[in-house]
Amino acid sequence: MTETLTGDAPVSRAAALPRHPPGDLAIWVFILAELLAFGVFFAVYAVTRMKNAALFDAMQPNLDRNAGAINTVLLLAGSWCVARSVDSIARDARPASVRWLGAAIACGGGFLVVKVFEYAAKFAAGINLATNDFYMFYLSLTFFHFMHVILGMAILIAVWIKARAGGYSAADHRGMETGAAYWHMVDLVWIILFPLVYVMR
Amino acid sequence: MQYKSQAVAKPYFIAALALFVAQILFGLIMGLQYVWGDFLFPHIPFNVARMVHTNALIVWLLMGFMGAAYYLVPEEAETELHSPKLAIALFWIFLVAAGLTVVGYLTVPYATLAKVTGNDLLPTMGREFLEQPLLTKAGIVVVALAFLFNITMTILKGRKTAINTVLLLGLWGLAVMFLFSFYNPDNLVKDKFYWWWVVHLWVEGVWELILGAILAFVLIKITGVDREVIEKWLYVIITLTLVTGIIGTGHHYYWIGTPEYWQVWGSIFSALEPIPFFAMTLFAFNMVNRRRREHPNKAATLWALGTGVMAFLGAGVWGFLHTLAPVNFYTHGTQITAAHGHMAFYGAYVMVNLTIISYAMPLMRGRAANSNKSQVTEMWGFWLMTVSIVFITLFLTAAGILQVWLQRVSDNPMPFMMAQDQASLFYWLREWTGVVFLVGLVVYLASFFIKGEEKAAA
Amino acid sequence: MNVTPTRGIARRLDLVFAFLVAATGVTWLVGETGSAGPAAVALILGLALVKGWLVIREFMLLRRASLLWNLVVAGWLVLILATIALTYWKALR
Repeated sequence: MTETLTGDAPVSRAAALPRHPPGDLAIWVFILAELLAFGVFFAVYAVTRMKNAALFDAMQPNLDRNAGAINTVLLLAGSWCVARSVDSIARDARPASVRWLGAAIACGGGFLVVKVFEYAAKFAAGINLATNDFYMFYLSLTFFHFMHVILGMAILIAVWIKARAGGYSAADHRGMETGAAYWHMVDLVWIILFPLVYVMR
Repeated sequence: MQYKSQAVAKPYFIAALALFVAQILFGLIMGLQYVWGDFLFPHIPFNVARMVHTNALIVWLLMGFMGAAYYLVPEEAETELHSPKLAIALFWIFLVAAGLTVVGYLTVPYATLAKVTGNDLLPTMGREFLEQPLLTKAGIVVVALAFLFNITMTILKGRKTAINTVLLLGLWGLAVMFLFSFYNPDNLVKDKFYWWWVVHLWVEGVWELILGAILAFVLIKITGVDREVIEKWLYVIITLTLVTGIIGTGHHYYWIGTPEYWQVWGSIFSALEPIPFFAMTLFAFNMVNRRRREHPNKAATLWALGTGVMAFLGAGVWGFLHTLAPVNFYTHGTQITAAHGHMAFYGAYVMVNLTIISYAMPLMRGRAANSNKSQVTEMWGFWLMTVSIVFITLFLTAAGILQVWLQRVSDNPMPFMMAQDQASLFYWLREWTGVVFLVGLVVYLASFFIKGEEKAAA
Repeated sequence: MNVTPTRGIARRLDLVFAFLVAATGVTWLVGETGSAGPAAVALILGLALVKGWLVIREFMLLRRASLLWNLVVAGWLVLILATIALTYWKALR
């Protein structure tokens, strides 16, 4: 007849797992998967470069390293702002928390703008995925990352909206920590990407 | 069974199982033709048997999905199905159309079938798995849309759960991707490019959403674990699926004339496709471990756990073995492909259908679970079929390795048919194992007719 | 999670950020000089390691998580950078 659940108290998740970082466990599973995907991509880049070192070294100077560096600083700033935001909410400083989030979103937006200009210049020069192996990796790696910055910003904006509406407090800001964790992942990936693709030779 | 209209699932499940039998019989015919080429020639040549085998598989899996949806959606949405009558009507339309199509394959020369069914108007025939006449394809679209209408209306008027939402997303995705079967470009590269939008984005995309939703539903019912926990896992699994599977389509774009970067993208993303299957396995075992109740349907529990494991092995592991471009360069289109295909389809989609049937059929017949005797018989069926498919896969893998070695890797490559000859031992072994599989299927079906002391619905 | 309501944590985050920017500056400078070869590669990878470690520990707050989580995430960082280092070394030979 009825297949209803029993009325037991929920199993304590904390008891079942080693203590995971702040934020929902689900986002950390996702983060690990993302890190794996990027990691494999980086490894394939590195191996391909190993086989075509001359080509890669020859093409690399054509990249806009300044844009890359600015973008690195923007993402680091974004992460800093997000971390400060979480720290604020942990002390129940809600308006400050919202402001820090806004700043983080601005940094992310800045990244996107810089990237768009960078791409525009490349496409105007006739560079595309089929130009050569280096450019194929440059474009696909950075574009893949670009998409993640967009997703990260979408998450931050959602968190920002909820924060503005008073949805978080010192006692309960798990959602903010969850969004923050994802954003930091996006930053962490770029910390490898920038030196690898733009600088190292 | 909480809602009367859930009963419409029953005919779908029964027809699905009947078509499953047909699928296996034609599989056995082909297996024999591998080693005795003239078997049933010219009455049922290999290519016709193949069409029946693959089309029957797909139709029965679709019927299973529809039955699963009709069963679980009213219970999840906590409301009766929008139109049980429509569901039954669609059942007969779908079944008859499928039956007529198979009769067409078997009795009419394919070129004639094409002509009389209007293939000249819009050519859609002649491609693997999509051999159906235009009429049948159109019929499938109509049936699918009406089915989706029925299910969507039910969900809209009731509770919208994560399971419902994911299932609906998967089913709508299934329908939308099927539309690409109508797009048949003249350019062979584009033809193949878009063909995979049906096939890959089905089985390595939206079908996985359907699989996840059905598995989650059954696990909630048989383990009693918190819905929130299970739904969270479901979201993680489908996210992993889509993130890996969409660009993972690229592992079909290595050698068909598309740009070379697909070899990089396809390799990277498809290498990660086993992850959602691994998560599904962890998920299933974890939930059963944390169960809050001892559900009397042990057979359904076995099917649920088995689905996770076999899907991971067949789709995940065997898929991974030949997904990287440097490997695939040698194994493309060989028995390695067949090995993977069989265990993947069985492990993921056959087994999830048998899981929901195992869970739902007793309830629709008025009991929480079948008698001990019936369940034990069913479990015998499970083991016979599952172990058989593992061995079939192993034998085909052996045949494939031999084929790759002889035909592609060696210093003096052997022509195709000569290499096939060398593999005939493995094909015989496969065929006999296939007979065991059929025995398992018969045992499984027999379990439905075994009586005994049934567990009353709680 | 026990968070003492002081400004200590905020100060810590500020310092980490300042260091990260400085490290980025160094990497950029190396790029400006066009330096190539083992020393430059080692320096840049070393900086990436430190930057990554700081983001993981201080921003993602892995320092409040179990050893296992730290091993996994930091392990990822080390593994990727080591792989990169290996390919660069092999390319130079």
